[in-house]
Amino acid sequence: MRQRRLLVQVGVAAVLIGLLALLVNNLAVNLIRTGLGLGFGWLGRPAGFALAETALPYAPSDSYLWALTIGWLNSLKVIAAGLVLATVLGVAAGAARSSNNRLLRSLAGGYVALIRQVPLLLQLLFWYFVAFLGLPSVPIGGLIRLSNQGIQLLGLNLSVEFCAVLVGLTVFTGASIAEIVRGGINAVPRGQWEAFRSLGLGEGLGLRRIVLPQALPAILPALTSQYLNLAKNSTLAIAVGYADLYAVSDTTITQTGRAIEGFLLLLLSFLLLNLLISGGMAAFNRAVLGRLNRSR
Amino acid sequence: MNRWLDRGITLLLLALLGWAGWSMLHWLLLGADWSVVTTNLPLYAVGSFPADQRWRPLLWMAALITLTLLTLVGPKHGWLRRWLPLFWIVMAPLGLWFLAGGLGLLPVGTRSWGGLTLTLLLTGGSGALALPLGILLALGRRSDLPVLRWSSAAYIELMRAVPLIAVLFFGQLLIPLFLPPGLEINRVLRALVAFALFAAAYIAEDVRGGLQAIPPTQREAAAVLGLSPRQSLQLVVLPQALRVALPSLTNQAVGLLQNTSLMAILGLVELLGISRSLLANPAFIGRYLEVYLWLAAVYWLACTAMALLARHLEVQLDPARSAS
Repeated sequence: MRQRRLLVQVGVAAVLIGLLALLVNNLAVNLIRTGLGLGFGWLGRPAGFALAETALPYAPSDSYLWALTIGWLNSLKVIAAGLVLATVLGVAAGAARSSNNRLLRSLAGGYVALIRQVPLLLQLLFWYFVAFLGLPSVPIGGLIRLSNQGIQLLGLNLSVEFCAVLVGLTVFTGASIAEIVRGGINAVPRGQWEAFRSLGLGEGLGLRRIVLPQALPAILPALTSQYLNLAKNSTLAIAVGYADLYAVSDTTITQTGRAIEGFLLLLLSFLLLNLLISGGMAAFNRAVLGRLNRSR
Repeated sequence: MNRWLDRGITLLLLALLGWAGWSMLHWLLLGADWSVVTTNLPLYAVGSFPADQRWRPLLWMAALITLTLLTLVGPKHGWLRRWLPLFWIVMAPLGLWFLAGGLGLLPVGTRSWGGLTLTLLLTGGSGALALPLGILLALGRRSDLPVLRWSSAAYIELMRAVPLIAVLFFGQLLIPLFLPPGLEINRVLRALVAFALFAAAYIAEDVRGGLQAIPPTQREAAAVLGLSPRQSLQLVVLPQALRVALPSLTNQAVGLLQNTSLMAILGLVELLGISRSLLANPAFIGRYLEVYLWLAAVYWLACTAMALLARHLEVQLDPARSAS
């Protein structure tokens, strides 16, 4: 029996290695044929393309590496803002679905049902071409100014592309988070609601202080995977011309022909991003569980 | 106090809804021009398939709709019921073969495939490839052979870390690099393979969840009855695990259909891609809202139909129901 197990494993390993060797061999043949080779020396060469939105100073004469870093920062910017806004929207919509107000409840239900059955890319295009590029130029109270050139918010200047991606990601992910929050709230025993009501606590206060904290352990793991989805989905920004990591990688690969190296860099960046998000959430999860256990 | 707040919220929502409804009505009556949709219906349905051959994709879609309705109605005849799953399995490969020029029909290159036909073919084809691959990966990840376990886990985790658009882009770019020089596969097939490789990792995790939900006593009971490990997996564990995983598999299937729209970025003219090229046409310039509303309606209908089918399947497979 043990021998058979060993034999099967060796067999599987041999097939996998064989397959890998075949692919690598084909790759080598193709690379020699196209005369490219592998290497990362090209990262230091000037990129030569302009970027519309840069968090740090950037000029086309800067290196590919710097261009990719700028793209990474742009991605980070939209992902971080999206995480916060989607959470707020999702929790609000999820809580609204168990509200006593029938109109509010059905509106939240309609929002979730509609948004989840329409592709995100289509929604992004809608926000960009219809909602934001169709904006009339209107100042609202001096501090906020909307126009199809961009949005000025208390001295903050946001590009239309950024706003479209941010709103699209927020609305789409918010609908999924709403479902998770609703599930978490439903998992809290009804007796808890009755208990805080009989203590004379208001609905809003009871939801915030009694129900949501108990729903958190059920919500957090699913929330983490939604956050990871949001990060991955932010790459669709290329469709509206926002210079995120993927868009910059795409341009870089098209210019240099370095598909494999480009893919490896993209893979590494996303592994790092995922690690950041899931690590942060794991720490938060531990803190929540610890507090909950102490309070029991 | 609380009741007044409630009334206030209701009033505010009503005012917002009224305003949205009024501007929508205003636009529908005065602003909208639906000619971009009505004059291009064939394009949305079949893409630039040659006009005299359009009956082929249309026939395939009609068959698909018939099959959906048949399944939803739930046929009473025993034989039809038994054959339905088989029909569903062969639908996508049959479509690919029929459109490419099977049965001695005029061969039509994938370049002229498009519209809803291509969207459905991509969904069905990659789903049919991804499901068995995903099940194998899930079994591999739960295997007690370390080599199998590690390689499956590595594949699943890597695939789940990358965004789909990157997988698709590199599928178009890299698959030719990894193939022997003489061998070439076309763009639609490359997209289909990349989709399947991506979806398999997610399906594997759903199936693994299902497998974990099956108590070990089931396997032990099968062993006591004299079933071999393979028989017990095939006849006892897997069917139950798949039933448990069905709701999340449905979500994957709906996601797969929605994600076919990403091929528009890479230049395939499926439903969204064909709309992008239509919107670039000077005759229809600026008609974004009409096109996007129309597309949203089509996607919404297709996704809802899929969810309904899956819900139906769940009810059918419910042991409480079949036992009675």
